[in-house]
Amino acid sequence: MIFLDNAGTTKMFEECVEVHKLYSCEHFFNPSALSVESLNVSKLIADVEKYFLQRLGAKGGNILFTGCATESNNLAVKGSLRSGDWEYVFSAGEHPSVYNVAKKLELEGYKVKFVPLDSDGKVDLNVLKTTLNNKTRLISIMHVNNETGAINDLDAISKLKKELCPRAVFHCDGVQGFMKIPCELRKTEVDLYSFSAHKLHGPKGVAGLYVKDKNTLKELFQGGGQQYGLRSGTENVSGIMQFKIAVEKIDEKKNFERVTALKRLFNNNLNGIKVLDFKGSPYIESLIFEGVKGETILHSLNQAGVIVGLGSACSSKKAGNRILEGIGVSKDDIVSSVRVSFNAYQTEGEVLEAARIINEVYQDIKERVAK
Amino acid sequence: MRKVLLLKFGELFLKGRNRREFIKLLKTNILKKLREFEFVLEETQGRLVLKDYQETQEDILVEKLQTVFGLIGVARAVEIDAEKTVIEDYVKTLDFSAVKTFKVEVKRADKTFEMTSMEFEKHLGGVVLEENPSLRVDLYNPEQLLMVEIRVNKKCYVYTNLISCAGGLPLGSAGKGLLLLSGGIDSPVAGYMVAKRGLRFEAVHFHSYPYTSVQAKEKVIELAKEISVYCDEIKLHIVSFTEIQEQIHKNCDADYMITIMRRIMMRIAERLCLQNDLGAIITGESLGQVASQTMHSMNVTNSVVSLPVFRPLIAFDKEQIMDIAKKIQTYETSILPYEDCCTVFLPKNPVIKPTIKRAEYNEKFLDVDALVESAIANEEILIINNF
Repeated sequence: MIFLDNAGTTKMFEECVEVHKLYSCEHFFNPSALSVESLNVSKLIADVEKYFLQRLGAKGGNILFTGCATESNNLAVKGSLRSGDWEYVFSAGEHPSVYNVAKKLELEGYKVKFVPLDSDGKVDLNVLKTTLNNKTRLISIMHVNNETGAINDLDAISKLKKELCPRAVFHCDGVQGFMKIPCELRKTEVDLYSFSAHKLHGPKGVAGLYVKDKNTLKELFQGGGQQYGLRSGTENVSGIMQFKIAVEKIDEKKNFERVTALKRLFNNNLNGIKVLDFKGSPYIESLIFEGVKGETILHSLNQAGVIVGLGSACSSKKAGNRILEGIGVSKDDIVSSVRVSFNAYQTEGEVLEAARIINEVYQDIKERVAK
Repeated sequence: MRKVLLLKFGELFLKGRNRREFIKLLKTNILKKLREFEFVLEETQGRLVLKDYQETQEDILVEKLQTVFGLIGVARAVEIDAEKTVIEDYVKTLDFSAVKTFKVEVKRADKTFEMTSMEFEKHLGGVVLEENPSLRVDLYNPEQLLMVEIRVNKKCYVYTNLISCAGGLPLGSAGKGLLLLSGGIDSPVAGYMVAKRGLRFEAVHFHSYPYTSVQAKEKVIELAKEISVYCDEIKLHIVSFTEIQEQIHKNCDADYMITIMRRIMMRIAERLCLQNDLGAIITGESLGQVASQTMHSMNVTNSVVSLPVFRPLIAFDKEQIMDIAKKIQTYETSILPYEDCCTVFLPKNPVIKPTIKRAEYNEKFLDVDALVESAIANEEILIINNF
């Protein structure tokens, strides 16, 4: 089986299993308890926090550990709501865990504005410029789009924020960006940044939220007051430690180059298949199989031993595709599209084999559905 | 005195000489439904009595009995000796403090009992009033009904509430058919409706992997599990329709795609019926719901089979079908958004008034027998039992 759905999830590093055992069976202590053992565990978590801040290139701030990126995104957006005549600005390309929150807030009467995408799949900066003003409370714009790989220009957005709404909070969903493309938060105006372990060969069930100033955020739920009172609940110690190990193992720059090469190799070996290239992250791209439904290709590839994705797994159950539609991809192309996403630990052989199978399956299906 | 469940069956008694057989079947089905529990099931003329069960299990027993076809009601009753004084004494102990009005209704299957039903109703009413002076009798709209049944086994059953059951006829009393199970809202309801009339069935599902997903198939398995609660064990035939659809798509007129598909599905269904000794085909069709469910379409699809085709939903509105689907808890699964094989290769304008002549002409370009043969040869069979 060749896995080309790495934007959906990734295979966990085996080292994580050992770490899981160590912090579940040996150092299993509740970090909030008063024993020396507990204190040691809580110190370890504090170290991980520092480590992540460093990897994010952040100056100051804190990391909250959550259960998943959906939680991080919900916490970032809902935790930034304030009473008063504020406006909340989202890009139209956000992941459902942000987009659907925005939709709900709109229903609840909040002033929500969506900024459309340009033809490159990035948030349209010209529209953003006219949207931001001194009433803007929150800007939520993702780093890398999970369907197209398009990269938003955080510097440009930061500049607009500084100029037009310095009091606003800037949240960036970095799930497809963190440890995949360069990220120096200190050079941006980003206040909140979400990221997730299982997209980085870590375990499922643990994610993070970078918080520049914890006084600007409100908690989603009340409890024992862990993690500065912003995320009550006993920390997932083993998950956090596994997350750290996974990130430690990743050489972002090297991986970027490797995936870029793998993707080039893969694309060069495709036959008659259109690649939707948004010149963004090398980790993600869309393929268009003219004349065949993407879902049919997905199932046939599955049968032939290649796993690909169909847009965001969270929205693949729905017809249409909000993101591709927003960019202006034609309806026929959308129906015929699948998402391919790579990881840096795949071999050239695997990628070549996948391309061969994809060509073969496409040829076969094309003949079968021809009139 | 002991707590029992008094089971009331519906129109079985109308069935003349078949009555014995119907009751036997009903008892068999009840025993099967409650196979994990310990209890005693007794029969007394016109009623079944379930006793000697663990009291903590009463709720779950009632819930399960409500899904047994042939029962119209179950009552949590008290069984006492059918003697006047015993009944009086028991009635005196009942608590009426929560209501202001009541009525006593006596059913006397045992005609040797010393008073008539009417007399005994009046008498017991008096007993209750004496114990509860602030209470009033209301014959038309009582807040509390007190049912007293005197049966031929010389036992008396007293209860206040008859919990309604699924009704219908005992499963199996009408034979066995084959249900076309698609994954939509209608076909599970169609299965439920015929099962309610005593028909057992096997089911056939057509899938079109890779044009449809594995989830679509899993969904149908889930639906089969859900209706199996009512319909007992279901042998589910999963037949690949992929090649057939590809062939039709390649060789036939686009507007006849669905018509030909339906005709071949019917042929496969009939073949499965003959192989498995099944006497009818059941579909979830409802008149005019989609192009393939017009009178003309059904005529054209019907013409390839000689077995009867039951369409229990033919005159139902979608809302009515949805209501039943919700009641039998198949609705939530049915609306999961996985395409079934009817939605791939969908022509833009399917024919609404197809003719047999044109359908037959189109089929000349297919080796229908071979396609049917190969589809059946490659079927996958699952036994689903959630009864």
